[in-house]
Amino acid sequence: MRIVLDRPRCEGHGLCEEAAAALMHLDHDGELVLDVEQVEDGTPQAAAAQAAVRVCPVAALSLA
Amino acid sequence: MTAAEAGRDVGRVVVVGNGIAGLTAADALRAAGFDGELVVVGEERHAAYSRPALSKALLTPSADMTAHRLPAPTHGAIEILGVAATGLDTAAREVLLADGSRQAYDRLLIATGSRARRLTDSADELTLRGIDDALRLRARLAGGPSVLVVGGGPLGMEIASGCVESGCRVTLVSQGPPLVEQLGRHLAGVFAAAARRRGLRIVESGAASVDAAPGAAHVIDGEGTTHRADVLVTAVGDLPNVAWLAGTGLVAPTPSGGVLAVDERGLLRPDIAAAGDVAAFPSAHGMRRVPLWSSAVERAKVAAAALLRGAEAPAPAFQPYFWTEAFGLSLKAVGPMPLTGEPEYLDGGADGPALMRWRHPDGSGSAVALDYRIPIPRLRKVCLPVA
Repeated sequence: MRIVLDRPRCEGHGLCEEAAAALMHLDHDGELVLDVEQVEDGTPQAAAAQAAVRVCPVAALSLA
Repeated sequence: MTAAEAGRDVGRVVVVGNGIAGLTAADALRAAGFDGELVVVGEERHAAYSRPALSKALLTPSADMTAHRLPAPTHGAIEILGVAATGLDTAAREVLLADGSRQAYDRLLIATGSRARRLTDSADELTLRGIDDALRLRARLAGGPSVLVVGGGPLGMEIASGCVESGCRVTLVSQGPPLVEQLGRHLAGVFAAAARRRGLRIVESGAASVDAAPGAAHVIDGEGTTHRADVLVTAVGDLPNVAWLAGTGLVAPTPSGGVLAVDERGLLRPDIAAAGDVAAFPSAHGMRRVPLWSSAVERAKVAAAALLRGAEAPAPAFQPYFWTEAFGLSLKAVGPMPLTGEPEYLDGGADGPALMRWRHPDGSGSAVALDYRIPIPRLRKVCLPVA
């Protein structure tokens, strides 16, 4: 599955980075960068992506 | 024990509560390998949503009315929404629901949250806790009525801000300066100045009395002055939803009606956990409720793991993250609050975007970003103790 960022919604809280640091990070301007966009279902990466999606208080992330 | 073996003897888990704590717990149970029957009971008919958004984006006239929506759940639970839990039989391991049905469980996770504390029984006293409250308030703001907001905490200030942005004349009645109890004098002063610049009238009052008589809502402040407005909103705290657990012995009594006092793993008993606003847990400052988004998420994960793995589950210390947006200011904070004295500016200064730190006597720190984009992991590093 693919991690999708709705950039206008992102407020730069960065809770997603905390949940999935291997997949995404906020750059020095506080903009979210998806380092990995495609994750395999059922892998630890997919679980981390789920956690990142879930922890975002403004639902800027989703999985497609 | 591997994740797949965790809780192998657990066939059925019931999660009562479909806010972010209940939703996260259900996700976390699946992530931990639980593949049995999962039931989520929610009193509201709505899918889980983001509560922080209700008093921020959702109140403004140009609001994105989807700001509170969360991605659809993937936990594959049987969802029973729009039905409240009304009782619990811990011996039979059954949750009683308002529709008369019963839900049997092997493990139970309680995440029934809290409700707004009210000052009157009048329907003219509006509060803001759920999506229906937010929509009701938004509808009342159309046409720019005068508004009285009672309560100078973050919620009261966010509501006041949304009302001002909606074109309302707004008076905020606060016990002492707004936000002082939560943020400390320095940051409270920054917010109060921004609020006044945008036209908020602030009444600092000791004991105010509220009368929400239909069509004549008013507040009499500590000086005896009467303040009237078309719309009255109170934001004076929240109370854990534990009434449905009366008689179970699970509720720790408090002056305000009780709380679920869980252990460091979120457990009340080996088969029952609680998380979110309904639960108090051990902290450096004693048993505390931390009714914040990030705390609900983290404590729900911990509680879900403990239900499956018991004492083998980790009991991580977690520093909650707090944010508020009001009167054009955005604040993010990590570390103990409120903050005494003046900040150390790590970037920026008193007149604009700033990254600030306060050092505490025990060597720990608190970090605050004001109108300053910074990822939470970096904000946490800023408040680490000096080596």
